[in-house]
Amino acid sequence: MDGIVSEKTQIAASWRGVVRFLHKTPRAFLPMREFPVLQLIAGRGIEGDRYLIGHETGFYSHKPEEGRQITLFEMETLEALRRDHGIELLPEEHRRNVTVEGVPLNHLVGRRFRLGEAIVEATRLSTPCRHIEEILGKAVFDPLINRSGLNCKIIAGGTLRVGDAVRPL
Amino acid sequence: MAKPIKTVSTVVSRVEDLGNETKRFTLTDQDGWELPPFKPGAHLDVHLQPGLVRTYSLCNEPEDNTRYVIAVKRERDGRGGSNFLHDRVRVGDSFGVSLPRGGIALNPDEMNVFVAGGIGVTPFISAIRHLERRRRTNYRLHWTSRGWPVLSDMISPAIEAGRVRLYDTAMQPKPAIAELVQEFAGSGFAACCGPEPMLRDFEGAVEGWPDERKHIEMFTPPKRVAQSDVPPYELVLRESKKVATVVPEVGLLGTLEALGIDVAVSCGGGICGACRTRWIEGPPIHRDRVLSPAERQSELIVCVGDCAGPKLVLDL
Ligand SMILES: Cc1cc2nc3c(=O)[nH]c(=O)nc-3n(C[C@H](O)[C@H](O)[C@H](O)COP(=O)(O)OP(=O)(O)OC[C@H]3O[C@@H](n4cnc5c(N)ncnc54)[C@H](O)[C@@H]3O)c2cc1C
Ligand code: FES
Repeated sequence: MDGIVSEKTQIAASWRGVVRFLHKTPRAFLPMREFPVLQLIAGRGIEGDRYLIGHETGFYSHKPEEGRQITLFEMETLEALRRDHGIELLPEEHRRNVTVEGVPLNHLVGRRFRLGEAIVEATRLSTPCRHIEEILGKAVFDPLINRSGLNCKIIAGGTLRVGDAVRPL
Repeated sequence: MAKPIKTVSTVVSRVEDLGNETKRFTLTDQDGWELPPFKPGAHLDVHLQPGLVRTYSLCNEPEDNTRYVIAVKRERDGRGGSNFLHDRVRVGDSFGVSLPRGGIALNPDEMNVFVAGGIGVTPFISAIRHLERRRRTNYRLHWTSRGWPVLSDMISPAIEAGRVRLYDTAMQPKPAIAELVQEFAGSGFAACCGPEPMLRDFEGAVEGWPDERKHIEMFTPPKRVAQSDVPPYELVLRESKKVATVVPEVGLLGTLEALGIDVAVSCGGGICGACRTRWIEGPPIHRDRVLSPAERQSELIVCVGDCAGPKLVLDL
């Protein structure tokens, strides 16, 4: 048991990642659009995104979520879907804002880390949503269970660019 | 209590009166953002008012991805959906629409023969615009209409190129559908959308064709026996934690409505797919024309569905 905990702590401290893609959309169900840069606002979310607190037109219209100001997804999951399930899921299709590479998202719940010049705190793992299958016409719900990305709060805002580093604090 | 958004919000950006009791509506995002994608010949539900949902085929093509264009023929004696669109809807009004569904599985290499009657041309306009955009000419449209065919402006290059044959049924006899499609019986794809007698003729003409090479698009549900004959069963709604007994006189949909459950209902006859619901325990009885055998393993068209056993559990 101790061994597992220390291994987890190690993973959580030793990684180095990078931002590969940035996406946002202003309203529920609308396609995500790719951007080279996003503006992160501390305590609220991404400028112009559906989950920006105070904007409230996301999937749950009347439920701004303190812990879902920005969402992340692993590039490695897209590769695993292609390799293990033969499903081509594109970075604009998983509906999370930031596609990262080299970041162990599932180990970061409860931790703070640096995302470009911003600091975020991971609140919980994202859960896949059935409507993603409806939108895409691809059977991705089951393969995405337990690797559907990470929801975060923005502790310190700033500009986030494709190519920025993602690092433990 | 959190309330999920179930529809895409759109704004009416253009309304055109095309004559012949037909209006064309263009729906866009309020900021002109791209809209959820669709297949050629797909349809969606327009939520006109609480309890008033109607399904329309998209006339534009998937590549034209910032608008949904629908054309609506007025049914003066209908339940009021088309009258509402004709009489009440103006530029600037906003409506929720469902995600687009369905579409026509075009054959990329062989001939695609489309047979349309009147407003039934809408799904084929989308398909033709899609094919023309890709410079594909492997299709023919046979289109009957009474008087001038509205919407022809959306496919004028195809008409000029001779790929569309128009039949004004006010002046000439209706075409014999069997003759239009028989040439392609061995390899082509055929699809039909139009009034009931036309669909019946078409169904007869392609009877021996394999399912994947034919498609029937219905705008009006087939007439049904008024009441189902299954014995009463228990209905359990898992999400809303409600339980009721479904009796034949009320039916499954009537029971859901009585419980105040928010299910979108458009055709009420198992052809549009608006009321598609996930089921957990059954087995359900399927009577729709929408779901594939694989989809029926987890979904039910509740407007015409029932349960074959004592208990039906739905994810509602
Ligand atoms: C997949 C799909 C695509 C469609 N695409 C289009 C389109 O592109 N353009 C378009 O104009 N319409 C389209 N429709 C039809 C549309 O959804 C509406 O049905 C239509 O606009 C009429 O609506 P309404 O409420 O005015 O009349 P409705 O009540 O829906 O009436 C439609 C027809 O059914 C008859 N009818 C109504 N109730 C009954 C009943 N209980 N028993 C028997 N007959 C009845 C009416 O007399 C009328 O002829 C489509 C339907 C489907 C399912
Ligand atoms: S409402 Fe059209 S299929 Fe049920």
